[in-house]
Amino acid sequence: MAIELSAVRYRYAGASAAALVSIELRLEPGRVVGVAGADESGKSTLCLVVAGLAPGVIGGRLEGSVRIDGVETTATRPHELAQHCGLLFQNAATQLSNTTATVFEEVAFGPCNLGLPVAEVVGRVWWALRTVGIELLAPRDPTRLSGGQGQLVALASVLALRPRYLVLDEPTSELDPAGTLLVAAALARIARETGAGILLVEHKTDVLAQIADEVVVLERGAVALSGPAATVLADPRLVELGVEPPAGVRLERAVRASGLEWSAALAEAIE
Amino acid sequence: MDFLMRWVRRQFTTRVIVLMPVAIAINIVLGAAVQQWLKLPIYLDSIGTILVGVLAGPLAGALTGILSNLIWGYLLPSPVGSTTIGPFAVTAGVIGLLAGLWGQFGLFRPRRSRVASVLGAVVAVVMVGALALYTYVRAYASPDQFSVNTSYAAASIDQSRAFFLAVMVVYVVLVAWALFLRRDVGAVYAIGAGLVTGIVAAIVSAPIAAVVYGGVTGGGTDAVVAAFRTGGDSLYSATLKQGLLSDPMDKMITSYVVFFIVGSLSRRFVSRFPNGDRAIADAPNDAHEASPETAAES
Amino acid sequence: MTVASTAADAGLPDYVARQPSGFYRSVNPGTKLAVAALEVVAAFLLPGWVGPLLVLAVVLATAAAARRLRGLGTIALTTSPIVGSILLVNLFLLPGASDPIARLGPLAPTWSGLWFGLQTVARLMAFSLAIGLVYLTTAVDDLLADLARRGLGRRAIFVVGAAVQMVPATIERAGEIVDAQRSRGMDTEGRIWRRARGVLPLAAPVVFGALAEVEERTMALEARAFSAPGRQTLLRVPADRPVHRAIRWAAILALVVIVVLRATGRLG
Repeated sequence: MAIELSAVRYRYAGASAAALVSIELRLEPGRVVGVAGADESGKSTLCLVVAGLAPGVIGGRLEGSVRIDGVETTATRPHELAQHCGLLFQNAATQLSNTTATVFEEVAFGPCNLGLPVAEVVGRVWWALRTVGIELLAPRDPTRLSGGQGQLVALASVLALRPRYLVLDEPTSELDPAGTLLVAAALARIARETGAGILLVEHKTDVLAQIADEVVVLERGAVALSGPAATVLADPRLVELGVEPPAGVRLERAVRASGLEWSAALAEAIE
Repeated sequence: MDFLMRWVRRQFTTRVIVLMPVAIAINIVLGAAVQQWLKLPIYLDSIGTILVGVLAGPLAGALTGILSNLIWGYLLPSPVGSTTIGPFAVTAGVIGLLAGLWGQFGLFRPRRSRVASVLGAVVAVVMVGALALYTYVRAYASPDQFSVNTSYAAASIDQSRAFFLAVMVVYVVLVAWALFLRRDVGAVYAIGAGLVTGIVAAIVSAPIAAVVYGGVTGGGTDAVVAAFRTGGDSLYSATLKQGLLSDPMDKMITSYVVFFIVGSLSRRFVSRFPNGDRAIADAPNDAHEASPETAAES
Repeated sequence: MTVASTAADAGLPDYVARQPSGFYRSVNPGTKLAVAALEVVAAFLLPGWVGPLLVLAVVLATAAAARRLRGLGTIALTTSPIVGSILLVNLFLLPGASDPIARLGPLAPTWSGLWFGLQTVARLMAFSLAIGLVYLTTAVDDLLADLARRGLGRRAIFVVGAAVQMVPATIERAGEIVDAQRSRGMDTEGRIWRRARGVLPLAAPVVFGALAEVEERTMALEARAFSAPGRQTLLRVPADRPVHRAIRWAAILALVVIVVLRATGRLG
């Protein structure tokens, strides 16, 4: 019961160089794996490969094996993939179906596509709205929401398909700090309450420090660092890999660098 | 039958389904914009249709055109909505269909200026010119049952030559401009395809305009229709002549814009469309490569 | 196919199961379309003045009962340029007309020209207003939901629904592009040649901007199981009461009868 990538190498159609090189990754239900790295290090590509959209929907050449609960993604159709592994992108607006008048119907879009009975659709929609914490938004017009609210709606829409795994590609990058907090809290709640396995690409390492169990750092399409979140995020090599360490780590380094004492109590205070 | 079903399904991938409303919105917005902001006597409401036709195929192109007209005419409130565009959905469908054919034949592909390409372009110009000449002579010079003037026949042959010349001059000017600007022989084919599309569009539109609107559109071109009718033309004939002046210009410009846009898009993006590989400059093999196991993309 | 027959039982909130209300507005969209089709066909195929005048009477009466006369007035107003053109062209230039009203120098308006022009205008107004009435009394959502219930696939529904929603945003973007290009020197007021050079600087960014989202929208749709096989679940469908069904079938029947009669020459 996991998403497993082994010896994965992926090249976009029409590209000369591979975007991902010899990736080994394991995502288990109930765990949050963070992914960090410089721009163009392959983070977005990794999301597409893990969720099965690459090569299924966008073409390209995949070598190695990507299995979701034991089944190769290349042998699975897109609508089935969507029920195993949900995928969320940066821009809330482009994830709207643009065909619904209320958030309720927007979140129901996925289950309705599956042809589920109405009662089940309604049940799933309320469950998804509750889990993300946006029941009050249900009657609103999905095109008139703030960035953070829009991402939460997109999150609920994907959750309504009841995937066992969730992949999120920089979901907070276009959000202000308030929106970022909303989304991070919702993700933490989802991991806790639904037992979903979450793969979270973020360059805001503070978010990763808050909710990730493990962190993987990519460099030029390959895994450069991987391990428990606290260890990786405190690794001195982060900066040269193009990743800014979380505020806590930076503060600790600054305090120590100026010769002061750093105590665990201070670390607690920042949490 | 099975082959036909597969051909139909192939043109309507999810990506095409996403492109179509975008193209419809482009059609409507640019069509309104060119009238309100640039105030030019062209329609410019077929860019989306031709784009979909070239990238996805004839059926998708035709549907884009038809739906654009229906939505523009009947589902949008004024000031954006247009009250007269609806019945011309047939014409828009034909434009999309033709664009699909041209795309299939690779007429919208950028081409290097090799000798063979230039020769091919010259041949294309001659063929298109011959077709245009034939159409104009037929349209302007054929004896008309309602014609009253006896000197009509002679006058119309002069008319037809004059208008054919005007259209061909515009064709050559556009092609020359495109060649010097982009050094791309492919423009000759694209603009030539536009010319042919414009002629066909005029022929298809004439009866619609004549029957539904009595030959008028509420615009400046109505004076042209009126002038032809004083000369003794039937309603259909006058409308056709007016159309043969405006449609080829509009479709040549539109086709060039689409050619320019397709050439400027990334190969990665274009190659993912059903007919995208026919719109990419180099050999198509490298572009749309998927691993053998991707049965999911059928 | 699964449809919410009793919305309250299924737990659907009111704002989702919303049904339109009001005289003509609550009529099933498919019925309204059928009636409009009949009206259009009658306006064009029934001989002389009978067709257009009958249709206009019915449309105006229905609009008055549905309190949509003002909307129809606006639609009629937007057709005024074309109405003017039709009247002028036919008044002065009807070929073969020989009963002048007056002689104004070289121009001679004719009675037959006026008659024919007015008839054409009447037909055009009947056509426009019949369709306009459907537009004024039917929400796009309801129309699409009804078509979906009759079997229209999710792809077609998505294309139409998304296109309607995307137009306002695209217009905004186009406006911004025009402003930006104007500040860079694009000429929108000068001579025609200068204005023509503005075509590409306007069209290209609008198109590129719109296309930029296609890839991500495609992936987002696939991530919501858009390509799943089979019929999609419909959360809400407009009512289709027996009386609506009866009217619909009657309208279609009448339409067929008119077409057949006209084709066989019985209607002249």
